[in-house]
Amino acid sequence: MIAAVQARWNRWLTRRLPASSRVRLTQRRIFIVPSKVGVMFLLALTLMLLAAINYQNSLAYALTFLLGSVFIVAILHTYRNLSGLVLRAAGANTVFVGEHVRYQVTLESLNHAHQAISLGFADEPPLIVDVPPQASTPAELSLLTTQRGWLKAPRMRVESGFPLGLLKAWSWVDLDQQALVYPQPIAADLPPVMASVGDEDEQGLRVSADGADDFQGLRSYQAGDSRKRLHWKAYSRGMGLLVKDFASLGGSQTCLDIAALSGDQEYRLSVLCYWVLQYTERHQPFSLRLDDKQIAADTGDVHCQACLRALALTGLSQ
Amino acid sequence: MSQIQVIPRISLTWLLVAQVLVILPHLSHLPLWVIGLWLGCAAWRVQIFRMRANYPSTLLKLGLMIATGCGVFLSRGSLIGLDAGVVLLVGAFILKLLEMRTRRDALVLIFLGFFVVVTAYLFDDSITAALYSVLPVTALLAGLIGLQQSSLASRPWDTAKLAAGLMLQALPIMLLLFVFFPRIGPLWSLPMPGGNAVTGLSDSMTPGDIADLSRSGALAFRASFDGEVPPRTELYWRALTLDRFDGRRWSQSSALNYSPSPDWQKAGDPVSYSIVMQPSSQPWLFALDVAETSLPQTRQLSDFRLQRSKPVERSLLYQVTSWPQALREPHGSSTGLRRALQLPANVDPRSRQWARELRQQYPQDEQLVNALLKHFNQQPFVYTLRPPQMSRDSVDDFLFDSRRGFCAHYAGAMTFVLRAAGIPSRVVAGYQGGEYNPNGNYVQVRQFDAHAWVEYWQPDRGWVSVDPTFQVAPERIESGLEQALAGEESFMEGSPFSPLRFRKLAWLNQIRLAWDNLNYSWQRWVLGYQGAQQLELLQRWFGRVEARELIISLVGGGALFLAFIALWLFKPWIRNGAPEQRLFSQFERLLRRHGIYRKAGEVPGHFARRAAIALPRQAPEIIQFYRSFEAQYYAGESIDPKLLRSQLRQLRRALPLRLSRLDRQQ
Amino acid sequence: MRRKLEACLEAVNQVLLGKEPQVRLALACLLARGHLLIEDLPGMGKTTLSHALAKVLGLSFQRVQFTSDLLPGDILGTSVFDKDSGQFTFHPGPIFAELVLADEINRATPKSQSALLEAMEEGQVTIEGATRPLPDPFFVIATQNPVSQGGTFALPESQLDRFLMRLSLGYPARGAEKALLLGDSRRALLPQISAVLDHSELAAIQAEVPKVRVSDALVEYVLRLVEATRTQPQFAWGLSPRASLALLAASRAWAYLAGRDYVIPEDVQAVLPSVVGHRLRERADPSGHGGSTLVQGLLREVTPL
Repeated sequence: MIAAVQARWNRWLTRRLPASSRVRLTQRRIFIVPSKVGVMFLLALTLMLLAAINYQNSLAYALTFLLGSVFIVAILHTYRNLSGLVLRAAGANTVFVGEHVRYQVTLESLNHAHQAISLGFADEPPLIVDVPPQASTPAELSLLTTQRGWLKAPRMRVESGFPLGLLKAWSWVDLDQQALVYPQPIAADLPPVMASVGDEDEQGLRVSADGADDFQGLRSYQAGDSRKRLHWKAYSRGMGLLVKDFASLGGSQTCLDIAALSGDQEYRLSVLCYWVLQYTERHQPFSLRLDDKQIAADTGDVHCQACLRALALTGLSQ
Repeated sequence: MSQIQVIPRISLTWLLVAQVLVILPHLSHLPLWVIGLWLGCAAWRVQIFRMRANYPSTLLKLGLMIATGCGVFLSRGSLIGLDAGVVLLVGAFILKLLEMRTRRDALVLIFLGFFVVVTAYLFDDSITAALYSVLPVTALLAGLIGLQQSSLASRPWDTAKLAAGLMLQALPIMLLLFVFFPRIGPLWSLPMPGGNAVTGLSDSMTPGDIADLSRSGALAFRASFDGEVPPRTELYWRALTLDRFDGRRWSQSSALNYSPSPDWQKAGDPVSYSIVMQPSSQPWLFALDVAETSLPQTRQLSDFRLQRSKPVERSLLYQVTSWPQALREPHGSSTGLRRALQLPANVDPRSRQWARELRQQYPQDEQLVNALLKHFNQQPFVYTLRPPQMSRDSVDDFLFDSRRGFCAHYAGAMTFVLRAAGIPSRVVAGYQGGEYNPNGNYVQVRQFDAHAWVEYWQPDRGWVSVDPTFQVAPERIESGLEQALAGEESFMEGSPFSPLRFRKLAWLNQIRLAWDNLNYSWQRWVLGYQGAQQLELLQRWFGRVEARELIISLVGGGALFLAFIALWLFKPWIRNGAPEQRLFSQFERLLRRHGIYRKAGEVPGHFARRAAIALPRQAPEIIQFYRSFEAQYYAGESIDPKLLRSQLRQLRRALPLRLSRLDRQQ
Repeated sequence: MRRKLEACLEAVNQVLLGKEPQVRLALACLLARGHLLIEDLPGMGKTTLSHALAKVLGLSFQRVQFTSDLLPGDILGTSVFDKDSGQFTFHPGPIFAELVLADEINRATPKSQSALLEAMEEGQVTIEGATRPLPDPFFVIATQNPVSQGGTFALPESQLDRFLMRLSLGYPARGAEKALLLGDSRRALLPQISAVLDHSELAAIQAEVPKVRVSDALVEYVLRLVEATRTQPQFAWGLSPRASLALLAASRAWAYLAGRDYVIPEDVQAVLPSVVGHRLRERADPSGHGGSTLVQGLLREVTPL
């Protein structure tokens, strides 16, 4: 029964507030009701009105009416605080299962300021941000991941009680964001070195600039170089940031094959994930073979990302 | 969630300010120890704010609460009742600030603050108090806003400005509610603030009492006449009659309250006026003879005064119609007349003797009265507020020895002599004259206008008023006490700096009268705006008053004001961009109606070409408009919105209202 | 004049099949007095494009193949002791040509790269204390393998900023490739190209381009674009003022090529991917190549009006 109501509510929300990477909060999208504090406030006003009636005191009447009118005017102000606010998806980071995904959201003001906007997924503690007039503010919402693959961000609740907190205006916004979640790495012994299947010839000792075995020399630092290889001594001598350049002798390469592992699918993927990270850290080339995909041997970050992505998505329909 | 619960700095600042502002008006009637408690708690709270002290422990809080309760009981004698209640409320308000930690505490504090502001109105509802209360309310609202603001907001003034702005915007709706919200009588009776002694007439009088009153410039009441204001000499405002004399003191007999209403016959032209009287803590009202009023719970007693069932504890507005020439009790009541002849035994033998002599000399009552008045007029009587001390036979002393006194002496002595001569008579206490305020066309009567005069009874003529003071000091009646005492400087001895003493400075007097007029209007139209007044006003506006009209006015007016505020807030007429840009949006809107939308980021040229392809029949107009737009907007030709507008019009004319699908696909 | 420019494009397109947009951008880059970076796999016609451009514009052409052992002197030139005169004589390097093709610039060491880039920036070279001006016009086309290929030194961001545009030629369309396979060797066609413009004409055109009108509304659009890169969080960093100037210059050249004497938003959108693509990075991935998706986002989200 509850599930049915929930489903209907969700359908209605989807119709009324369709998912989009940029949402402007307009009249159709904002709901407003008195908050708990507002109800308390109205009760207090009723008491004051009773006092005014019983004491026949015009000033007490006046104050009661003034506060009541402030309440009414606050409806407009609270609504205005949310209306016109633009929310824009700004990407998400990729994480491993068990970590928090951080969805980036940009809040933009087209004209007036929006103060104390609280932003959050249904079950998570909300985040409170201010958006200055005609400017934008970044915000970051995190969500704990429990399974690999694409994680679609749930609808987020955008809420504000500003200025008085007597009313709350809110909207449920779906920014159509998703984040890629890699399997959780599970430590396991590295697999025995196997000859990779490929047309690489046996002795083809290739010098790969990104290796880890042989010191080749120093070169200047470029964005993206590993910090671990910085030549700090040279830096301390004022020679600028230099990187120790290693080359590795590629020999027979490792093939990480899911078929070689036993256990359930998720466990195997987790082990592979761990291995991918290990080999990348050691700058050893490896190839990856999954049930539905094969990635040729390589090394480096790009390769690592490609492998992790394949691990995250294998067996899942897009 | 803990981060949300913390009270932001701005809110705390404003709550501290609000506390000072809220408590200030209560200072006059709070016991001293509450002020001490307040200062202590405030200092402690500031130390907590500066991280130099800890929050009080639960035990200490409990102790403080119990101590406050005991303190209230000790200083007020009870824990219930308004006075004790207010002290308790203020105490709770003070203690709450000290223990305030979370937002919930802050909310409770703010609501308590509003209640404390309301209770302040019960003690002082003057215009200044009302204006002042804007300050604490603003501070409390600022505190409430501060609770909502994120910790990023850092300027307290902005918060207060926002609070003030909200109040300003709420003002029109508040006025509407104030005018139209139906006023009903009290649902149940509540204790009123008491204890603050009110100067004014009391139900017994020694001569010295009126002399005391004459030192006070406090307002007694104001009266607005519907027509001409009667001359000063006819303004004898009756409050009560004193018909018991014990040798020193005139007082009213208790039997008066139970006597039936007197009979009287209307005669002459009536005078209509309304009176706003200050709280007197006494049940009687002030009116000219002989008065009728529509005020509920008020009746005319047998001595023709108006009396309410309850004392007047708050300013009271009432309408009166008086018949100055009415015939009062032409037949008399035997008990009433007997009371009007009562005299104490064994006092003032000389006066009694003189009365007997007069009686023999003037068998006619009226002749006797006239002779008595003549006596006051011709003998060297002096009108003074500093009479000498009297012995036991006060009337004898006054009539035959000192011959110095003021209205109470003359009225008392005359009544004594008349009674001794067998003429029923009594002392009337009330006010005489008053100051005419030309700004508001009303008469204001102050305590120093207190007066006592005499009325005696004649068969068929009923009660006749007579004023012996007029014989001695006619200027007292014609121009007021100050003139009567011009040489004596005893006028308002108690208050050397009262603006009333500087009436001779024209400009100062002008300001004083204007201010008084403002206060009077405030009392009549704001404080007195209760059931009857509201009904009268609404009847004047709408002819008749029905619930439907009230609701329509209230809701309609409120919606109208809200719409204005919404317009002002949202400013829908402000569109961003240059006129060409707006024209292009019109162009877009026009095409949108025919299903051609500009995509996100699509340039105008591309959009126009696409539209031209989709609507081949109108392509020339579309392209023409776009060319001009491009030329003006990008190629630097002179801006000519008129041209664009006319081309847009051409396009609109070329486009059918609705396009058939066939047309579009061609 | 514009007819001649059209003729130039025509001629280059004869040699390089199916790459009209890129050729047009390359020419616009040259007209805006900027340098061009072509990022592509080997064998996509980068050399052909440069050579053909040099030919039609009547510019002297030099090609430098960058390798890891290339020294700065190999680019700039060296002084050689002349036994006959007993003095050092300067042998100018390839950089003293009017159009220099720096092939596979990311193969050379950073030292050699910066020698070229500094020359590009300053329009002159200082060798052994003597300052020598570079020819005018001076136009560098650098090519670069995509960084993911091993054994290369990718240009740092600061150096990338010195190129007005970055192009990617990409694979030819199927039809164009078929024509390529069936026809003569494209290289063989090169000698047949004759110069369409001479130096003075080119100089005149280059002088005309900055006079192309830019309206207030258009500057606003450019500003909105630049602001978006500075405020939106998906950008690792925003565009520099140099980048916004470059965008405007390139848009002007594009408008000039289109035969207009004013810039419209179409021009900006046409050059935007090439002009800012290499200057932007995604915040989520500052070492990667998110530039082009970011530019697509910019085009979509920043309203031209």
